Amino acid sequence: MYRRLRLCSNNGGYEAIPDPPLRLDLRVARSVLEREGIAVVDARVMLIAATDPEVTISQSGRLLFKTRDPAAAERAFGQLQRWLDLPGREPDERIPRRGGIA
Amino acid sequence: MTRGVMLMSGGIDSPVAIHLMLRQGYEMVAVHMDNRPFTDDSPLEKVVDHLGLLRARYGQPIPLYVVPHGSTQTTLMRTTDRHVGCVLCRRFMWRSAERIAEREGASFLVTGEALGQVASQTLSNMHSATASVRLPIVRPLIGFDKQEIEAVAKELGTYGISTRPGVCCQAVPDKPATRSNLVQILREEELLDVDQIIDDCVRKSVIL
Repeated sequence: MYRRLRLCSNNGGYEAIPDPPLRLDLRVARSVLEREGIAVVDARVMLIAATDPEVTISQSGRLLFKTRDPAAAERAFGQLQRWLDLPGREPDERIPRRGGIA
Repeated sequence: MTRGVMLMSGGIDSPVAIHLMLRQGYEMVAVHMDNRPFTDDSPLEKVVDHLGLLRARYGQPIPLYVVPHGSTQTTLMRTTDRHVGCVLCRRFMWRSAERIAEREGASFLVTGEALGQVASQTLSNMHSATASVRLPIVRPLIGFDKQEIEAVAKELGTYGISTRPGVCCQAVPDKPATRSNLVQILREEELLDVDQIIDDCVRKSVIL
């Protein structure tokens, strides 16, 4: 399962970290992304995909979205989750369920 | 007037280092190694803003060469030992800076390195990195501690620019080598067409 998205150490983007770490097959991930029409830089131990926003995908499953907009990072995470069949994310306690108490 | 070429990263140290050189009356040319897509746009934006302040302060044009470095980084990651990636990366930066120095008639190179601030800034790594160039290298901040550098940066007005949010270099390995061995570095570079890589990068550089 992925932990909640959080700002990276230098506050330049949002990162999603799986716990426990994954062992992604980056060759497979690259071909899936390219089939979706996404340009990919393959640096062997990581991919950089020209999604919107751009994302770095590590072998461990760590994702770094180059945006300071949390909603944009969430959207891109959901898209990658579908394309790459990634595990789900722990629920965000700050977002109340419909009809729940904020 | 003696000219030097300054490597500028967008961080706290390099604007302080170039300020010290400008204050001494040297004419400076700036080089930024553009590490996208391993970073975001922020390092380049910061360098542009740093130079805006320094140009106004010193009345010098300080041309900025932006050298594409992302494809070199990709090649290094795909081809060489990740452990020594930072040293190899620095060697390509130095070579690009030296090539631009030749073009600009500059006689020395300058960097904002200070000893021991980050894992890769050790004496053996600096030696391995700079063995790639022939021009003399000036390090105005080598004996400064971080607090001293930050104090000058705040006085200059560059500190606030340097500390804006940004994505750190994604190519830095989890455990970068702190004691590099030049023999191993040279062996790694045998896997690469070094001259071709530098030719391509410098040819594609733009001046701002």
